Amino acid sequence: MNYTFQWGQVTGHIPYLAGGAMIALQLAFFGFAIGMVVGALCAATKAYGPKAARRLVDAYVSFFTNTPLLVQIFFLYYGLPDAGIFLDSYQAVLVGISLNAGAYLTEIQRAGFMSVRRTELDAAATLGFSRLQMIRYVVVPHLLKTLYAPLANHYIVMVLGTSIAAIFGVEELTGRALNVNAINFRSFEIFSIAAGMYITLTIAASASLYWFGLYAFRIKAKVF
Amino acid sequence: MFLSIDGLSAGYGGTRVLEDVSFSLERGEIVSLIGPSGSGKSTVLRCLVGLVPPEAGRIALDGSAVDYTSRAAVRGVRDRLAIVFQQYNLFQNMTALDNVAIAPLKVKGWPKAEVMADAKRLLDTVGLGDKHGAYPDQLSGGQQQRVAIARALALKPDVLLLDEITSALDPELVTEVLDTIRGLAANGMTMLVVSHEMAFVREVSSRVLFMDRGRVIETGPPAELFDAPRTERARDFVTKILRH
Ligand SMILES: Nc1ncnc2c1ncn2[C@@H]1O[C@H](COP(=O)(O)OP(=O)(O)OP(=O)(O)O)[C@@H](O)[C@H]1O
Ligand SMILES: [Mg+2]
Repeated sequence: MNYTFQWGQVTGHIPYLAGGAMIALQLAFFGFAIGMVVGALCAATKAYGPKAARRLVDAYVSFFTNTPLLVQIFFLYYGLPDAGIFLDSYQAVLVGISLNAGAYLTEIQRAGFMSVRRTELDAAATLGFSRLQMIRYVVVPHLLKTLYAPLANHYIVMVLGTSIAAIFGVEELTGRALNVNAINFRSFEIFSIAAGMYITLTIAASASLYWFGLYAFRIKAKVF
Repeated sequence: MFLSIDGLSAGYGGTRVLEDVSFSLERGEIVSLIGPSGSGKSTVLRCLVGLVPPEAGRIALDGSAVDYTSRAAVRGVRDRLAIVFQQYNLFQNMTALDNVAIAPLKVKGWPKAEVMADAKRLLDTVGLGDKHGAYPDQLSGGQQQRVAIARALALKPDVLLLDEITSALDPELVTEVLDTIRGLAANGMTMLVVSHEMAFVREVSSRVLFMDRGRVIETGPPAELFDAPRTERARDFVTKILRH
């Protein structure tokens, strides 16, 4: 063991790495937001849509949950140009992450749709609730509550998953760590700092989701 | 007649489960429905509050027939008839107080201060003065059922429909719920009660209807129906249930 730590050579790069962390967070956030919309539409289609549309959703979900995210992004980045569609690396990664998330979030949200209690809706109806009031006061709170923990967990997984973007040259946290490493080869220090930043990101996300969930829906999402 | 049901038939998806049911309720009267499982007791109550559409017959409140195909008419009925379910059906995401207050606040738009004071008073009446802030999953079955009773009363209904409100409860919790109903009875509340608690039915009802396979088979004061049933089927049922 004659490796001497040279933290001094990397501390100067911390703001640059932190900027990468922000890009990672951004990818996760937008990917999650788009995935939620896609997932909600697909879950609603699976619950109420015509048969052909349900089949289509099934095909989409099983394709994206049964192939690696990396392959999906490869396809978007290198495959689509053959079809005349050109995405830059950031776009390809974002679209890939979003479609992947959409498939998983379809399944999660569908479980929520199935679990709304008929009995509470009966009670609401006999108390004179309108359709809109039922959705607002009974269905939505129920969905948020049952879906909160699995959604929060998926979001955390997505934050870490953004490191895949580095492979396509997107300069998020991992990409920037690779850049710094190429300059001074202080690999241990650089990747410890990057790891520390990922841990900070996920703990910050978990903790804020935890407190928010506890406050808003009285539920405990998983922190670790 | 305050509430009258005349030749009511209804069913689920083409299968008739109620056939020509007729009876009526006077203001302040307590009538009980008894009968074997599947005889249609719950369906009668669900028809009255518009959860199951009547297929034939006439239901009238204060002498005027209710048109269950009209949303406005159904809303009108739900203003006056309140139902309490076997499984309480509380809103899980709301505190006891909010469960009671939500309909008067959001459906009726009554003034908040008044609604809240009233909801608290109702919870106090059913013996839950210290549970205003509790969520359903923090309450026992008996407590949840009492919240459900308070919630049903919050809209100041003219008639309370009770569907086996004690049958999901552990025996030691039944008394507290029945005592709540006794209190309402003493205050002159009009009630239509479905119950398997025969001693209770006997004590509070002025009339009992015995149902079997979707029909009302026999009607009479409790003493008569329990001690000297006229029909074979009522006799069978009564001896079976009193043996427990
Ligand atoms: N949602 C439903 N869909 C189809 N059939 C139903 C439904 N609810 C009840 N039934 C049928 O209607 C008949 C009457 O049921 P109902 O619930 O009114 O009986 P009940 O007298 O209340 O019985 P219990 O004492 O078990 O509560 C039964 O044969 C039952 O199977
Ligand atoms: Mg029943």
